Amino acid sequence: MLDATQASKNVASVRDLKVHFQSKRGVVHAVDGVSFDIRDGETLGLVGETGCGKSVTGRSFLRLLPVPPGILAGGVVSFRPHGPCAVCEGAGCADCTNTGRRASGDQPIDLLSISSENMRRIRGDRIAMIFQDPGKALNPTLTIGAQMSEVFLQHRSAELLERASLPPDTSGAVRRFAAQEPRFGDGLILKFPPKRGQRAKLQVALNQMVTEALAETQVPNPVKLMDRFPHELSGGMRQRVMIAQALACNPDLLIADEPTTALDVTVEARILELIRALQQRRKTSVLYISHDLSLVRRICDRVAVMYAGRIVEIGTTEDVFANPRHPYTRGLMAAVPTAGTARGKLAAIRGTVPELVDPPSACRFAGRCPYETAACRRNDPSLLPVAGDHSVACFIDHPTGSQVAPSFERVTE
Amino acid sequence: MSEITDSNFDKTAVRDTAFRVRMRRFFGVLQRLTSNPTTVVGLVLIALMLAMAIFAPWITEANTPDAYQMPRDWGAVRKPPGTPGHWLGTTNEGGDVFYGVIWGSRTSLQLSLYVVGSTMVIGTIIGSVAGLVGGWVDEVLMRIVDVFLSIPELIFALAIAAVLGPSFTNIIIALAMVIWVKYARIMRAQVIQIKQNDYVDAARVIGDSKLNIYLKDILPNAVTPVTVQATLDMGNVVLIGATLSFIGLSEAGIAEWGVLVSEGQAGIASGRWWASTFPGLMIFLWALAFNLVGDGLRDALDPRIEGR
Amino acid sequence: MQLRDYILRRLLVLPILIIGVSIVVFTLTRVGGSPIGIYLSHEMTPSEVAEIQARFGLDQPVWVQYLQWAKGILQGDFGYSGVAAAPVSDIFPLKLAATMELAVAAGCVALFLGITLGTFAGARRNKLPDHITRIVAVSGASLPQFWFGILLLIVFWAQLGIAPIGRSDATIFASIAHPTGLYTIDAILAGSLTAFWDAVWHLILPALTLGYGATAIIARMMRSALVEELQQDYVDAARAKGLAEKIVLKRHARRNALVPTVTVIGLTFGFLLQGTITIEIIYRWPGLGRWMADSVLRGDQGTLMTYVLFTSVLFLLVNLIVDVVYANLDRRVTLGK
Repeated sequence: MLDATQASKNVASVRDLKVHFQSKRGVVHAVDGVSFDIRDGETLGLVGETGCGKSVTGRSFLRLLPVPPGILAGGVVSFRPHGPCAVCEGAGCADCTNTGRRASGDQPIDLLSISSENMRRIRGDRIAMIFQDPGKALNPTLTIGAQMSEVFLQHRSAELLERASLPPDTSGAVRRFAAQEPRFGDGLILKFPPKRGQRAKLQVALNQMVTEALAETQVPNPVKLMDRFPHELSGGMRQRVMIAQALACNPDLLIADEPTTALDVTVEARILELIRALQQRRKTSVLYISHDLSLVRRICDRVAVMYAGRIVEIGTTEDVFANPRHPYTRGLMAAVPTAGTARGKLAAIRGTVPELVDPPSACRFAGRCPYETAACRRNDPSLLPVAGDHSVACFIDHPTGSQVAPSFERVTE
Repeated sequence: MSEITDSNFDKTAVRDTAFRVRMRRFFGVLQRLTSNPTTVVGLVLIALMLAMAIFAPWITEANTPDAYQMPRDWGAVRKPPGTPGHWLGTTNEGGDVFYGVIWGSRTSLQLSLYVVGSTMVIGTIIGSVAGLVGGWVDEVLMRIVDVFLSIPELIFALAIAAVLGPSFTNIIIALAMVIWVKYARIMRAQVIQIKQNDYVDAARVIGDSKLNIYLKDILPNAVTPVTVQATLDMGNVVLIGATLSFIGLSEAGIAEWGVLVSEGQAGIASGRWWASTFPGLMIFLWALAFNLVGDGLRDALDPRIEGR
Repeated sequence: MQLRDYILRRLLVLPILIIGVSIVVFTLTRVGGSPIGIYLSHEMTPSEVAEIQARFGLDQPVWVQYLQWAKGILQGDFGYSGVAAAPVSDIFPLKLAATMELAVAAGCVALFLGITLGTFAGARRNKLPDHITRIVAVSGASLPQFWFGILLLIVFWAQLGIAPIGRSDATIFASIAHPTGLYTIDAILAGSLTAFWDAVWHLILPALTLGYGATAIIARMMRSALVEELQQDYVDAARAKGLAEKIVLKRHARRNALVPTVTVIGLTFGFLLQGTITIEIIYRWPGLGRWMADSVLRGDQGTLMTYVLFTSVLFLLVNLIVDVVYANLDRRVTLGK
C-alpha cells in the first residue's frame, strides 16, 4: 500500500562511510566518516574541490573502488530499492507514469556488505552511474548499439525473450546469450539454423529496446546511431548515450560524476536540462557530484559540501546558498567571481588542503579558517543541524542573513 | 644588476653547474638500477662472464699456437661431463667443452665490443649529420637507412657474411653493417628533438660554435636511448653472431659458442648432449644478462616511471 | 582524410624501398667475387674467359648489368640453384610451402599462447602469473632458437624417442596428392587421417620451438596493453553496468588491448621468418631456410640473394598492411578522446 510518508523516505542513507587508500606515503583517509541521506526523487548535489573525496563517495554506492589500494574501512550505505507500483503491480500505469518498477523487495540493504553477485544485479539496474568524460567512458571498439545492449542483456533478459516472442523455456544456448552468460561452445551453436533464427529475433528485440532508450534522450536518428562508434559522435551525443544507457533500466538512484565537466558550456546546458527532465519523469533520485557551485545551484534540491573527506555543510540549495554557515562554504562562494567583483582582486582561501594521511584530530579547516579558535585546533566538529534541514560541522555559530562578503584575506593576483 | 656582456658572462660556470647536475642524475639512475632485483641479476651475470673472459688464460691453459682454436685431445674423445680434466665433457674431436665455454666468452666479448663500438660511432655520426644538416642530405641518408631496415637483420647479415666468406672477422663486419642503422635513426631523432629545445637557442645566442653546441649540449642528452640500445645490442649481437656461426659462416674448430653448438649436433643421436648444451647455455645467459640490464636501464632512465 | 593520405604515402614509398633493396642485393652479388666463378677454371685462356664474361653480360657497365638482372627477376628468371640442381623458380614454391606451413603453425601457437598469457598476466598484475609471464617474455627474447630446438630434440627425440625429425614419414607422404604443398591441407583434402596426423605430429616440435620466442614478444605487449586498458574509465563504466568481471575483461579490456598488440605482429612475422632458417636446419625441415643454409655453405650466392630479395619484399608488405590496419583501428581510440 502506498505509504503516506513514502514521499519523505530515503532511497539511500550513508552512515559514517570510511574509505581509505593504501599508498607509499601511508594510508590516505580519502573519505573519513561521511553521513547523509538521499531522499526519494530528489537531486542531491555533492560539491567540493578536487581530492575532497566526492568521487570516491559516489563510487562507493556501486562498490567501484579498486580494492587493493582501496580499503572499505567502515560505515554503512543503505539502499532501499523501490517496490513495484501498488496500483499496477509494476505493469505500468498513469500513477507510476509507466516506470514499471520491478520488485526487489522494499527492505533496505547495505551496499557495502552484500555479495558481489547481488551487487552486480543492482549495478546498472537499480543504481546507475554516468561518468565525467563520455569519450573515455565508452568502449572505443564497440558500436553504441553493442554497448547499450549489454545493459538489457544483463538485466532485462526475461523481457527480451518475451519481446522476441520466444517461449521462456527456450534452449540453453539462446537463453544464455540473452543473459550474457556464454558457455564454451555457445558461439558455434548459435550459428546454426534453429538457434540462429532465434538469435536474430533476439537481436531485433534488442535493437528495439536500445532505440527506445536512445529516443528518450532526444537523440536524432537513434537507429543509425546504433551502428556508430563513439569516436564518430560529438561530446554532447556521447553523453546522451551514456545517460540513455544509465537510465535504460529505470534505476532508483543515478550517480552523476561531473557529467558536464568535459563538455562545452552550450552543450552542458542541454545535458543538464535532459537529466532534469528525465529525472522528473521517472522519479529517479540523483546524486550530482561536481566542483562547480553555480551548476549545482541550478539543478539540485539539496546540497552537501565536502571538504577533506568529510561533509562540512548540508541543506537545501536555497538555504545553503543564501546562508552559508561553514567558513569553507563561504570561502568557496566568495571565490567565485561575480559581475560585481572589483577588478584585480580574486579571493582565495589561504592555505592548502591538509594531508589526508593520518589526519589530526583537529578540525580539518583549522589553519585556513579566519574564525578559528583554540577549540578548533583541538577537537573535530561533527555535522549537526542548526536550522531545520540545514546542518553544519563547525563549532562557531555564524549569524545568518549576512549579505556582506566574509573578510577573508584578499590575495591580489 | 650589472649588464651581462660577452666578456663577463661566465660560460664555464654554467657548464660547471650543468656537469654537476648530470653527475647527480647519473648517480640517481645508478641507484634506481640497483634497486631492481632482475637488473641486479643481470649485472651479476655480466660481471661473471666478463671475469670469465678476462681471466680465461688463468682459468684454463691457453691452447698453442692459437688460443682460439679448440684443443684436440685424441685420447679423450667423446667423454661425458664429470670426466677428470674435462669437467663438461669433450666433443667428437676431443675438444674440451669447458675450454670452449671459457674461451668462447672471450670471442663473444670481442664480437660484441667490436660490433657495438663501431656501430655506435658510425651510427651516431651519420645520424647526427642527418639531423643537424637536414635538407636533402637528411633525406638521402634516411632513405638509405630505411632500405637497410627493410631487410630482416639476420638474413641481411647472413647475406653479407656469405659473400665475404666464412670467417670470424667477416661476421663482425657483417653485423656492423646491419646494425649501424639503428643508431643512426636514434641519434637523428634525438638531434632533431633537442635542436628545438630552448637551451640550444640559448647557447647559440651567447655565440657558441655549432660544434661546441653539439658536443656539450646535444650529445650528452642524446646519450640515454643510445646507451639503452647499445646494452641490448651487446646481447643481441652475440645471439645473431652465434646463429651465423651455427649456420656455418664462421671458421670450423674455433672456440666460439655458436660453432660449438653446431659441431655438437652430431653427437645428439647417440645421446651425447653436452657438447651443444653448455655452449648454448652460455649464449642464452649472455643475451639474458644484457637484456635484463638493458630493460632495467630503460626503466631507470625513464623519468615518468615511479614504481610499478 | 588522414588515413587515406597515410596509405597513399606508404604505397608510394614502397616501390622506392624495393628498388633500394634490389640495389643492395645486386651489389652483394657483385661483391662476392665473380658470379660466374663456377663456370671458370684456371686452365682457360684469357680470351675464353672474356668470351664467357661477355656471354653473361659481365663486360657491360655496372648499371646496365643491374638493369639486366632486374629485368630477369621481373620476368621470373631467378637463376639456378647449385644445391638443388634445378632452376630456382622450380624449387621455390615447394620449399616456400613447407616453410609457410611451419611459420603459420608457429604463428598460431604464438598468437594463442601469447594473447592468453598476456591477458592472464595483465589481469593479475604483480602477482605470480605476472611474474612467470615476465620471465617467459625475457627468456624468449634471449633464447637462442637453435639451442632451444636442440635441447628439445635431446629430450624428446634422443632420450625419449617420441618426437620425429623431418616433415613427414616418406611412405605416408607419398601416399597422397599434394595440390597445395601444405602437408596438413593436402591431407585434409585427400581425406586421409593418417596423413593428417603424420603432418601434425611432425609439426609440433618445430612449431613450438619457433613459436616460443614469438610468444614472448606478443605476451609482453599484450600484458602491458591490458594493464593500460584496465585503468581506463570505460572498464569501470562496464562494471557499473553490472557486467561480470570475465566479460569486462574479455569484451572490453582485452578487445581494446589487442589494438596496440597489432603493432607487434610485424615484428613477430620478421622473427618467425628469420627463425625458420635455423629451425629447419635442426629439424631437417625441407623448407626455404635449410635450402638457403645449404646454398650458403656451397657458395651458391645467387640463390641466396633471390631469397634476400623475396623475404625483404614480404617483410615490407606485411609491415605495410599491419601499419595500415593499426592506423585504422587507432583512429577509433584516439579520435574518441
